[in-house]
Amino acid sequence: MSRGASLQEGQLLARSLNVSKSTHLVVASLAAAVAANATAAIQLTGLMGEIALLFVIFVTLAVGTSAISTDIFARSGQTIANLRSIGASSRSLSNAVFFSVIGYGVGGSALGAGIGAALGLVLGGQGGALSAVLAVLCVILASSAAAVAGVYAGGRRTWSS
Amino acid sequence: MEQLGVLQRNEALAQGRYSVEVKHVSKSYGETEIYTDLHFQLLKGTFVALVGPIGSGKTTMLNMFAGLEKPTSGTIIVMGRDITKMSEDSLGEFRAGTIGLVPQVQTLIPELTVRENVELPLHFAKVDGESRRRKVDYVLEKVGVRGESNRIVSTLSVGEKQMVSFARAMVNDPPILLLDEPTEALDPLMAEVILGLLRGDNLTLGRTIFVTTHDRRVTELARKTIRVKKKIP
Repeated sequence: MSRGASLQEGQLLARSLNVSKSTHLVVASLAAAVAANATAAIQLTGLMGEIALLFVIFVTLAVGTSAISTDIFARSGQTIANLRSIGASSRSLSNAVFFSVIGYGVGGSALGAGIGAALGLVLGGQGGALSAVLAVLCVILASSAAAVAGVYAGGRRTWSS
Repeated sequence: MEQLGVLQRNEALAQGRYSVEVKHVSKSYGETEIYTDLHFQLLKGTFVALVGPIGSGKTTMLNMFAGLEKPTSGTIIVMGRDITKMSEDSLGEFRAGTIGLVPQVQTLIPELTVRENVELPLHFAKVDGESRRRKVDYVLEKVGVRGESNRIVSTLSVGEKQMVSFARAMVNDPPILLLDEPTEALDPLMAEVILGLLRGDNLTLGRTIFVTTHDRRVTELARKTIRVKKKIP
């Protein structure tokens, strides 16, 4: 299946599951807040501190997106039953939630990381602009990985319960 | 495209005699026994009506054929595959390509348009965009609601929703169609359209049709009628 088809299917299913603008806002602001703090802090610490901070980003965002994903599926029990009766699988439904929120997650992360990078430079971060850019990339990567893991973990928990 | 569908169906028909095989199936809810040691087969391309009093377990049987409910014991084989041993995900994928279901209770997504609702099973079956559009147009035309394709489903009448349910069940051209009281919510004209479609699909496409009904017109159309006599206490 093409990526275009996945996105279209994702949007259609997301509307079916009532994934609203509020959900998108929660995802974007959560990602922005974590990314801003982490990107600033990464520039002020050494290698071990950076690794620890990236780990914290991954865990906190994964837990957050997993909770959001679980909540979406829990609210839409009847709709999910209806969709499954016409061929939906847990994978297609998890993909739907993922595709509908990932843009907001990455957008929030990028915004937060940008703010964090500027803050880190102002606060006297080591390594200058190159270090700031590297921090931004690492934080966006960790956030995106966390979002993927969280959405699918939330879906998996719902299907197995 | 339609010719290809017919060829694929003919190939499937040639692969085995039965669309559904029920082997020593029992079903109970707690202490209440619904079916005990059911054992029968449905030939491919047959049209079977299941009749009986309200609460006699007709919908339960239909749901078991669709894999929406599991039997307490026994095996159900649909188009050669044992659906009682499938995971939920495998069942979903299997349903997308094999079974068209028209449940008694409306299961359309009210927030989506008619077209979007009918298109959903094609997404799950991984049908590409152009084929999706063509198949949806064809089936909406067939059930007479193409003019309503951009309307939000929640604004339709009960009868119109039922017609959309039909369209959704038939859009992927499934070899098996399961219908639960399909004419109950329809006015006589709409019911005639559906009866004509069922007759045509069964005769010309060899689709297996299994329907629960109280409607004499449907039982007259069926090649075989199964009667469930006992009402569950």
